[in-house]
Amino acid sequence: MGDVHEAPRPRIAAAQLAQYIGRPVCFVGRVEKIHPTGKLVVLSDGGGCNATVELSEPLDEEISGVLEVVGRVTNQATIMCMSYVQFREDKSPFDLELYNEALKIIHEFPEYFPFG
Amino acid sequence: QVTVVGIVRHAEKAPTNILYKVDDMTAAPMDVRQWVDTDEAGSENIVVPPGTYVKVAGHLRSFQNKKSLVAFKIMPLENMNEFTTHILETVNAHMILRKNLMLASRAPQSFTSAGISDVGGYGGGSLPVNGLTAHQSQVLNLIKNCHSPEGMSLQELKLQLHNVSIPTIKQAVEFLSSEGHIYSTVDDDHYKSTDAD
Repeated sequence: MGDVHEAPRPRIAAAQLAQYIGRPVCFVGRVEKIHPTGKLVVLSDGGGCNATVELSEPLDEEISGVLEVVGRVTNQATIMCMSYVQFREDKSPFDLELYNEALKIIHEFPEYFPFG
Repeated sequence: QVTVVGIVRHAEKAPTNILYKVDDMTAAPMDVRQWVDTDEAGSENIVVPPGTYVKVAGHLRSFQNKKSLVAFKIMPLENMNEFTTHILETVNAHMILRKNLMLASRAPQSFTSAGISDVGGYGGGSLPVNGLTAHQSQVLNLIKNCHSPEGMSLQELKLQLHNVSIPTIKQAVEFLSSEGHIYSTVDDDHYKSTDAD
């Protein structure tokens, strides 16, 4: 499963999940809800759209704030999480809307932000 | 000379250098080597833990079709918005590069690492061009023209720029240092330019 990190992982917004089914992606979003089992987390992206992330092992701690999830998009357009990183917000809050704008730009100009 | 922002996946400490693997999602994690000066006490001795987002300034190297980076500055990101900024700067860098490839008659020396435009895997390169204020440019030029081994001291800068206040000079130095234009030498008051003259 760790091989996902060896391949390019495009950064996407929730609305693009359907286009990346079966492919590894990188998704950044704010934690909205954690399922009681700890295996499902709902993240919202900068555009206000939600994505569901499935974890291979349930979360053992309360997680909140902005997460960057690397994983593969399932047939149901959810993300099967391989790894995640919590963004530091102790010094200053992360501007998710700005990140979303940046995402729009890199997808609009793929020649200026090559993936792999 | 490039800047890459990514997450440290792996860190290996050796007697003379630290080898990190930095991942920015556009390709497999990249080798980043940081030389450690055993005489110099300071930030070089602290290894950045895996899982941290960092900004690396260094020189791009290509070896047998594999690219790696020799870092002269590795900084953990304090503010994740810097990371969003870096994505935008990368797009900007590509645009500038392409525009300059078309205006081939004028070729500024900072574009020597032409590997950036055909670096398919690394969207993380950004160029330190046209982002400097007048003060920063002045400070940078003075430091560039200083050829002594220990570099230019803050006191020297103040003497040369007598109409600029010390806080302004210090701010310029900090900015240039974080962008990878200059690096500290014997102590935090002495700097040399990273651009070879």
